[in-house]
Amino acid sequence: MKRFTMLFAGLLMLGVQVVNAQQRTITGKVTSSEDGTTLPGVSVAVKGTTTGTITNIDGNFTLGVSADAQALVFSFVGMTTKEVAIGSTDVIDVAMDPEVIGVDEVVVTAFGISRDKKAITYQTESVGSDELLVGATPRAAEGLVGKVAGLQVNVQDNGVNPNTQIILRGLRSVSGNNEALIVIDGAISSSGAFDDLNANDIESVNVLKGASAAALYGSRAANGAVIVVTKKGKAGDDFIVGYTNASTFETVSYMPSFQTAHGTGWDGEYNNIENTNWGPRFDGQLRQIGPTFADGTYQAVPYAPVENNLKDMYNTGSTYQNTLYVSGGDETGSFYMSLGNQNTKGIVPDDTYKRNTFRVNADKQIGKLKLTVNSSYFADETDVVGSTIGDQDRTFYWFVLNTPANIPLSTYSDWDNPNSFGYADNYYNAFYQNPYWAIGTNRNNDKTERLVANMSASYDILENLNFIVRGGVNTVNGTGKNWRARQTYDAVLQPYHSTVSSFVEDSGFKNTEYTGDALLSGDFSLTEDISLKAILGTSLYSRTYRYSMIRANNLSIDGFYDISNGTGENETTVDELQKSTVGFFGDLSFDYKKWAFLNVTGRQDYTSTLAEGNNGYFYPAFGAAVILTDAISSLSNNRVLSFAKLTASNSTVYNDLDPYQINERYTQSGAFPFGGINGFAKARTAVDDEISKEKIASTEFGANLAFFKGRLTFDATYFMTKTTDLITFTTSSDASGSEWLLTNIGELQGNGYELAVGGTVLELGDFTWDLNLNYFHYETIVNEINDESVDGEEVAIESYTGGYGTYAIEGEAFPQLKTVAYVRDGQGRVVVDGTSGNPVVGQIESQGKTTPDYIVGLSSAMNWKGLSLSATLDYRGGYVYYSQGSDAMEFTGRSMESVSSDRKDFVWPNSVINTGTDDAPVYVENNDVQISGGIMDFWQNQYNQIKENYVKDATAIKLRVVSLNYTLPSSLLAKTKVIEKVTIGIIGRNLFTVLPNEQYRFSDPEFRNTRSTDAANGIGIGGYMTSPPTRSFGFSVNVEF
Amino acid sequence: MKKYLFIITIFIGLLSVSCEDFLDVNTDPNNPVEVSPDLLLPVAQWYTADWLQQNRGVSHLGNMFMYNWSETYGFSWYDEEFKYLVTSTFYDKLFDESYSRALKQYSDLDGLDDEFIYYKAISKIMKVYHFQILVDLYGDIPYSEALMRGANATPVYDDAATIYADLLVQLTAAIDMINTGATAEVVTPPTYDDVMFGGDMVMWKQFANTLKMRILVRGQNTLSYAAELAAITAEGSGYISSDVIIQPGYAQEVNKQNPFWNELGWSVDGTVKLSNDATCATQWILDQLTANNDPRIDFIYEMPADGHMGVDQGSNPGDTHAADFVSNIGAGILKEAGMGANIFSLAESNFNQAEAALNMASGGDPEALYNAGVAASFAYLGAGDPATYLSQINNNVSYANSTNKLEAIITQKWTAVNGITAEQSWFDYTRTGYPANLPVSLMASTDDRPVRLFYPSSEIVANTANLPKQPNAFSAKIFWAN
Repeated sequence: MKRFTMLFAGLLMLGVQVVNAQQRTITGKVTSSEDGTTLPGVSVAVKGTTTGTITNIDGNFTLGVSADAQALVFSFVGMTTKEVAIGSTDVIDVAMDPEVIGVDEVVVTAFGISRDKKAITYQTESVGSDELLVGATPRAAEGLVGKVAGLQVNVQDNGVNPNTQIILRGLRSVSGNNEALIVIDGAISSSGAFDDLNANDIESVNVLKGASAAALYGSRAANGAVIVVTKKGKAGDDFIVGYTNASTFETVSYMPSFQTAHGTGWDGEYNNIENTNWGPRFDGQLRQIGPTFADGTYQAVPYAPVENNLKDMYNTGSTYQNTLYVSGGDETGSFYMSLGNQNTKGIVPDDTYKRNTFRVNADKQIGKLKLTVNSSYFADETDVVGSTIGDQDRTFYWFVLNTPANIPLSTYSDWDNPNSFGYADNYYNAFYQNPYWAIGTNRNNDKTERLVANMSASYDILENLNFIVRGGVNTVNGTGKNWRARQTYDAVLQPYHSTVSSFVEDSGFKNTEYTGDALLSGDFSLTEDISLKAILGTSLYSRTYRYSMIRANNLSIDGFYDISNGTGENETTVDELQKSTVGFFGDLSFDYKKWAFLNVTGRQDYTSTLAEGNNGYFYPAFGAAVILTDAISSLSNNRVLSFAKLTASNSTVYNDLDPYQINERYTQSGAFPFGGINGFAKARTAVDDEISKEKIASTEFGANLAFFKGRLTFDATYFMTKTTDLITFTTSSDASGSEWLLTNIGELQGNGYELAVGGTVLELGDFTWDLNLNYFHYETIVNEINDESVDGEEVAIESYTGGYGTYAIEGEAFPQLKTVAYVRDGQGRVVVDGTSGNPVVGQIESQGKTTPDYIVGLSSAMNWKGLSLSATLDYRGGYVYYSQGSDAMEFTGRSMESVSSDRKDFVWPNSVINTGTDDAPVYVENNDVQISGGIMDFWQNQYNQIKENYVKDATAIKLRVVSLNYTLPSSLLAKTKVIEKVTIGIIGRNLFTVLPNEQYRFSDPEFRNTRSTDAANGIGIGGYMTSPPTRSFGFSVNVEF
Repeated sequence: MKKYLFIITIFIGLLSVSCEDFLDVNTDPNNPVEVSPDLLLPVAQWYTADWLQQNRGVSHLGNMFMYNWSETYGFSWYDEEFKYLVTSTFYDKLFDESYSRALKQYSDLDGLDDEFIYYKAISKIMKVYHFQILVDLYGDIPYSEALMRGANATPVYDDAATIYADLLVQLTAAIDMINTGATAEVVTPPTYDDVMFGGDMVMWKQFANTLKMRILVRGQNTLSYAAELAAITAEGSGYISSDVIIQPGYAQEVNKQNPFWNELGWSVDGTVKLSNDATCATQWILDQLTANNDPRIDFIYEMPADGHMGVDQGSNPGDTHAADFVSNIGAGILKEAGMGANIFSLAESNFNQAEAALNMASGGDPEALYNAGVAASFAYLGAGDPATYLSQINNNVSYANSTNKLEAIITQKWTAVNGITAEQSWFDYTRTGYPANLPVSLMASTDDRPVRLFYPSSEIVANTANLPKQPNAFSAKIFWAN
């Protein structure tokens, strides 16, 4: 151990004191005050030093202490830390009290301010390191899923480096950002920085669910906050060196439900070069597939479905995560350092992702001054298949999905060999390329680096008066190189393929955010019973962003991907932005007899993004809490109810605009300049002249109860939010001369509740079983749409050609999915055309809301001696999504629906014909008029027009994580004298997903089609752009020295 | 202690001093808030060319509906067109992009000072150009409340006939503005940035008159045209004397090719586009041209090695009709990557005048105008001297020998705008029924081609409150055809 210290001491500003003269020996026994059992493994340390030991299996300890030692500190997981003064006796026996869960906790709130959890007037929930890491998810956000009531984490795609979206308590803003604010070690950060953290470095995540909790953060607080605290060395930790490894393996869990009755063909006829599945029924006969070669030969495959032909194209992905960490500390300082490494191979062949993380956290007390630094550096490298493949600029998945059922896709991997059927000229598909070819000829390479660092100096001016200044930087920069190889085709073998043009795109970006805070805080006793914690502070924030891209087309030299290789004019882009805010705030927390608490905060903000003179606003927040069990004497010392607290809070916050949005701006138009003629295009988005901030008012009521000394806890919260002057990007009529309008429109009201029950359900000897169940329900209603520029009572938020989109509709839940629908009579029967028999294409109608009615999370942890079995399950229900993939694939004839009547014409079930007029309809039951074109045309051109067909129920049950860990007994390790802790585990992630209400599944309802409009709440339009859903298995090892 | 207090004081001091500058960062460094009209006009005109000529643009639709173009064996690109599958997504960009690109950009010139009165006049004229075609495609459209951007995101629909009448008023006003500009003390004329007429305001007046003629001829059944025709004559600038070409500087470079060439011709690297392979002549039109010994056949259509061959729309002719064997789009239309976009042919102008002379007593000589129209068509295509062709006594070739003069004019116009502004011949067909015996696609389930388009899905989602009921695409003719 100590040799490690020698090794690292030079690296550190902070020394670790390890040697003390021993002058007396103290012995003792540690027991539990609850049942008198002895406690092994309790840490016993001499206060103010690093001298310490742990109790043995019988709860006994022996410790040599110096003559001047004042006290011993006893600490143990699940017990309240106890300090005992060293008197004259050499025997100190101690009875430790169990910690009442959630009551004596200290939580980190806004600006890194620590507060007793019981004094907090709003609802928060913490997730500790162990819980977070249970599934060894590379993204910390994924580790939060199912663990916090009111928290919705969406994993939006399935790449090697997935994006996550964190939403607390649903949606408050129509077009604005609804994602929670991320704060890391007291400094405002970003969800990107959270994703880039090594999850092993996280000590705890505290979720401030409502705006009240986060009001001190000003305009960024509206969506609640996720307060991340990274690990620190602990006084008395001596010196720990640890290593963790998690190795997981990822496989496709399901592909879309596709028909396997018909194969390659068109309009009922077999066709050897089609990507579509409109051929005759499979008959098992050997048939030509692809072109006839010059020598008259061709590839022939049985005309029969190949099982898992798409799934088999995907590899088993692997992710190896390694973290090496050291930590230690004494009374005046501590440190934590880690090195992390992740190496991922994706399920798409050749997709790789690598990242390295470095962290140094350290603090040092120098008299009244405490200096703290938390810093991390992150670098990653992504190498994945391109996203603009072929002459149609399609994504990879498109090529996979456009493979008929009878094609043995995985046999085409030898794409580069001119003698292979996978070779471009030989490939069977005349319209879309071989996915393996795509992998070899289209690459996106990205590298990013991120530095997150913050430093603070805290000075105790007086015993009860502290001043802290903090400076933080979160800077990320990256480079990207995307390229596509040119592909030409033999005009005889591949007459229908266009030349695929080549390009190389070289891009760079840098985003830097600085934060600076200064806080003066004091503790005052106003009377004997009333004390006050007061904070005065100021906060600065600035962000600069720059992106540049240069693209060279039609490269001269094959395989050489440099800008110099382009012909014609290069395409270039430079994009920059800047934003600043300044805030001043105060926070007064009154405490009456430790059972009544009142909190008043106010913040005045100025933002750069609104018009001068109208860019300042004030955010007030109020909160109150009463601890009934302390306030009412008859409740105290109750054997059943150990703790009861009620809270109420209210706050008002505002959202501002993004930089520059306040003005309509011109952009250089597409092809310009043409030589000396330059041209600028009028903005596609119109901006309301009077655009201003949106206001979000939140109120919450909460109750926290603990029973049986904390063995059972119950938390309940009811909240309401009301957003007025909604900043909205509405879809305008193109005829207005703009495609969108940015305006303040209407009012949104949300309300919901969170319930969380936790506790130990079973305790038998060494066996314990803890369960946590949380339930979250909310609904956001559009109260009003009242913009004079818009006729009607709804606005389209995101709309698509073909007739579907998400809407804000007065009086309805938000967001609402609307699509082109069937026409139905009063009895709900589908109206069909009297001649063609085809369902009549109706108007665009509401299909349901796209955010869940309720989310249920269930975590279970069973422990028996060193063994622990944990699982997290979540259930989201009561909402719909639009499956763009199903819509887009209808053309290819692989939908299950398209074979529902054996490709024959049929009478539309339960249909009617209108024998009257449009205005005075007379509906007559249809018994004999069949749909026309059932062999193909009906599905491609009629059925596909009615977008209602692609609205899916998003209800999903997901088993997110199961893990089994075994920690070796310390008695075994004691013999090694080096190893202090060994834990090994088996992990399973996303083992199953049940979509109970979907007859035919396509993808994961959580996936989102594009990232571009995240902020615009692109929730509910699910896509096909990303790889299919996966599950992972693996194992983990943690060793500490 | 004092040291720390000192540092803190400095820190706070720095904060407060720089606060105002700190927040003054809301000027977009990449995108200007104001630009001069010479940077707006060329973009607008470039948009107009795109709208008309791009793949599935305005002219493309005309070429499909008017049986000019068909589909090469092996492709299934034009099923929707051949089925006359008029839905809310069928050619929806004709509506969407007219407003959201070209008209938006032109109307941005309207608010300029009078120093830029020429630009304002050009804006008026080009808006008329677009709005007329929009009415011809859709009937009632957003007009009076259109293009107000943030002030009205959901414009109402106006009556088609009322819009038509107002278009004439707008053109008169534009000519007046040009005349005002000529005598104004301070006026900044467009120059090279006017990529249609190079700032020649006389040509703009001629174009305004030419547009008036297009409107009057098409609307002759409902408009009181006599006074309008007299006004054109009185104005005195006359009509266009050459094809109206938009030429910003198209070149064989990425994004800079002529839109028609780029989407139905060849890639920048010189490889033929599949769309070019996929698109070919109908056999019927080849037969028509051949029957009249029309030399333009080799310019409107590409001549394959084994002679001209076409495909009936909606047929499945087999691999004898693969791309190498059929007559694809010809070099008289697809000239080169750098060719300008012809948005109003001189031929059409002559034929419109011929019809006015024939039926609207405009005073001209219909035969001379007819012959001038044919000559202009030959000239644009590079088909040589039309004299031999015109000397034939065939019906609808020789004006004098044609049994129905209107049929001759409309039929010749149809040939002249083939591949250029073919939508005009579709409007003529709906109005007059010529060319006679024009076949319908074999995939069609109706007796004849559509007479209008459906309102686009973008309006269904974003202007629900105002959108009229979708009219019948096969029977609800635009007002001028009734």
